[in-house]
Amino acid sequence: MTNINGKAYAMNAVTPMKAWKTPILRILFFLLGAIKSKQQDLINLSFIHFARWVIVKRNQFPRLAPEQPEEQLHYDYLLFFSNFNGTWNQYIDAFSAVLSTGLNMIWRWSEKFPGSVPVTAFKRYIALVQFDTDYYYTAYPYATTNDVKAAIRVDDRLQAFANDSAGLSPDEFQQAYLKLLVKVQADIGALGPAPMGT
Amino acid sequence: MANLNGNMYGLTILSPILDDPKIKISHDTALRMYLQNMHRHERSPFAKVAGTHICRLVVMDDVVYVGSPAKEEHLKSKYLIFNSNLYGGVDAYLEEMARKIPDVADDIWSHCVGYPGVTDPRAFAAYMKKCQIETTFFFADVNDKTVEQTLKALQTKVEFTAFVEENQGRSPAELQREFAAFWERMRKSPPPDGGAKELTKGQAARA
Amino acid sequence: MVKLNLFDIQGFVARGYSFPCACYLLAEILDYKAGREFVGRVTEQVTSAERWEQGKPPSTLNIGFTWTGFRKLGLPDATLLSFPDEFYQGMSSRNRILGDVGKNDPANWEPVWKEDIHLWLAVYAQTADELAKRSDEMGRLMQETGGARLLYTQQASAIYIDGKPTSKEHFGYTDGFGNPDYEGVERDTVPGQGKLMPDGKWAPLATGEFILGYPDEARELPACPVPYLLGINGTYMVYRKLHENVASFRKYLDEKGKQYPGGKEKLAAKFVGRWLDGTPLELSPDRPDPDLVRDPSRNTNFTYRHDSDGARCPLGSHIRRANPRDAFGFNGELINRRRIMRRGLPYGEYTPADQPASDEDEHGIIFMALGASLYRQFEFMQQQWIEYGNDARLGNDKDPLAACHSAGSDKFVVQGTDDPRNTPFVCSGLPNFVETRGGEYFFLPSLTALRLIADGAVDPR
Repeated sequence: MTNINGKAYAMNAVTPMKAWKTPILRILFFLLGAIKSKQQDLINLSFIHFARWVIVKRNQFPRLAPEQPEEQLHYDYLLFFSNFNGTWNQYIDAFSAVLSTGLNMIWRWSEKFPGSVPVTAFKRYIALVQFDTDYYYTAYPYATTNDVKAAIRVDDRLQAFANDSAGLSPDEFQQAYLKLLVKVQADIGALGPAPMGT
Repeated sequence: MANLNGNMYGLTILSPILDDPKIKISHDTALRMYLQNMHRHERSPFAKVAGTHICRLVVMDDVVYVGSPAKEEHLKSKYLIFNSNLYGGVDAYLEEMARKIPDVADDIWSHCVGYPGVTDPRAFAAYMKKCQIETTFFFADVNDKTVEQTLKALQTKVEFTAFVEENQGRSPAELQREFAAFWERMRKSPPPDGGAKELTKGQAARA
Repeated sequence: MVKLNLFDIQGFVARGYSFPCACYLLAEILDYKAGREFVGRVTEQVTSAERWEQGKPPSTLNIGFTWTGFRKLGLPDATLLSFPDEFYQGMSSRNRILGDVGKNDPANWEPVWKEDIHLWLAVYAQTADELAKRSDEMGRLMQETGGARLLYTQQASAIYIDGKPTSKEHFGYTDGFGNPDYEGVERDTVPGQGKLMPDGKWAPLATGEFILGYPDEARELPACPVPYLLGINGTYMVYRKLHENVASFRKYLDEKGKQYPGGKEKLAAKFVGRWLDGTPLELSPDRPDPDLVRDPSRNTNFTYRHDSDGARCPLGSHIRRANPRDAFGFNGELINRRRIMRRGLPYGEYTPADQPASDEDEHGIIFMALGASLYRQFEFMQQQWIEYGNDARLGNDKDPLAACHSAGSDKFVVQGTDDPRNTPFVCSGLPNFVETRGGEYFFLPSLTALRLIADGAVDPR
């Protein structure tokens, strides 16, 4: 299944938009980028490595040679690419449950979008507009974004500990080690294979 | 610059695929077959392209008809989407592709319109940028670590977790000695291979 | 305000019977005509959810079906195809999703689970005599109609200590807290059992999370088999026979309890998130509190927002995994569609704490869970929260007590503070404390649906 590599899922989606709606979406994306707090929910959900939206205007499809026919399109297109952890259902359930306002703000400009609540119609729409990945590479298939962030924290704290504990007496060392453990105790889960997809 | 998020760059390239009615196997089909058989995990060509955190290749056949009252329409060409989440600058990255994986780049993009080849990395980069679409909004959960830093951190996490388990209950003097040996081993061990399917507890945590 | 049709919903679905003993019968339908007659005769006696105005009956009777059971009874193809995948596939086919591998693999289950299980019958009774009487009656009815063949009987009962029934299970933990509150159930909302509201209070969950035909937490009607009348007022059930390795558990606790600065009792509490008597660690991290446990307005009324580092209740403890409450942020909204309604009972001889225990003895829990969606509720919780830990930010670490630890290298981290009595502690080399010995997915139809099935009148339009 080429959409999946280890613990990461590569989702691709394309939706049509009436050209006059595109500038509105651009402004919304600009605001989303500028107002950090709006992204906090995405960060707190903590199951997306990287995600992006790409607006391709109807006259923007690359044309590299005169023999290549010119696209003649009515709609602009919104492309969506996500690299997330967990199953397809879990991902969409979570978004529908807690990020519906944000999702609606982005996709309401796409034709026939049913809204992200209730979830059944939303899932049907995504299945309609999703297309499959042919090749998916990740430098760390065994790591979710939570694993990566935990690793960075452990690494930083261990580095600081190694520096600060040089030259301590054994008892002082043990005290410092205990303090280190308290700092990293939530970050030392095992790294293993992804659960089998449902 | 919407393509950027911290030190991460969201590269989105849509390369039109050649449409040749004379050949037996169409370019898009051949491309799909090639991508299906391309090496994966640590043997993936992208493991050689420094800066590649996560990337994908997708043959986009057409746009979607979502149903009335939306209008039905079709693309006149198919497009190869190359979507990469890379650390660093885009020009250096594209030139790196040309230098490190020239054969694979040839195999893939020779199916696309206007491909100049890889002998001149700058020309390759320029060609790719001609097909680049600006990312409108780019989200990155972690946006400030190189691939190597990330892999090394993951390795540290695995090894230190094993250290904690194995050294629980040791006397202070023993603990200090074991940690010193552990840290020395960690310092010396090379980062794990990019793209590897698993990251097992290596030899770093034990003598 | 939702009004449940209590005359139509099966009693077992709407309430947890607090009878001391039960027996579960598994049967194969022999022939669809005679089978329907049998179902009709059972339906005449099936206990509904109506209130017992004249006190508890001496016994109750309820019935459930597997997908193959529905097919054997001649339900139309369009109906059969409208059931969800996991119900059609059956529990043993879903073993990799559920973590039933290694020792827990269906290859090691009791032989009956390989047979054609079509029906599940549950008898609950006030006395052992009543239990025998009612279950014998079921056997006679099967023979009389020629409609079904009894494959297997499972006895279960509350564990008696000093002559009194308790809600303990064989490891010694007090069970039965935290069953979800939902709208329409005729009992007071117990704080902590429903869903968390923005103002910090608890409210009942939407009925449709647990019974088909009512709006659910996604603000729509849950997916339902076709015709609608077959599904409404019904629900799905998970049935699992979970053997408990009591000797291994006690040995492991003895060993690690000596090393853990908090001691054995506290370590046992850390595994689950409650002390053996049921006191939640979150509310009383240092000692059990009998008054707290006895008070339903307090004994499950807590959140994890003041314990984000797990120093009170470990991040990977059993109850925190099975019901994370607000631990994942968003005021608990990510959890509302992942709740399960539990109905289990222990089985087998109880070994008192001061007697030597054995892993080989037949004892464990008959675990049953009800919900409108097997894959979204039980299966999800089992696969993502019990057998895995990413949502809790614990990587691949698993539930210390309930998960399958076939590799022998799994660990459980007890988070702590720099107080020497509560230091961080790692429990390594977790053995398999619980072994799956069998199980299946059933559908428990409403009484109206039972009559449709018995009459052969299921029409998918």
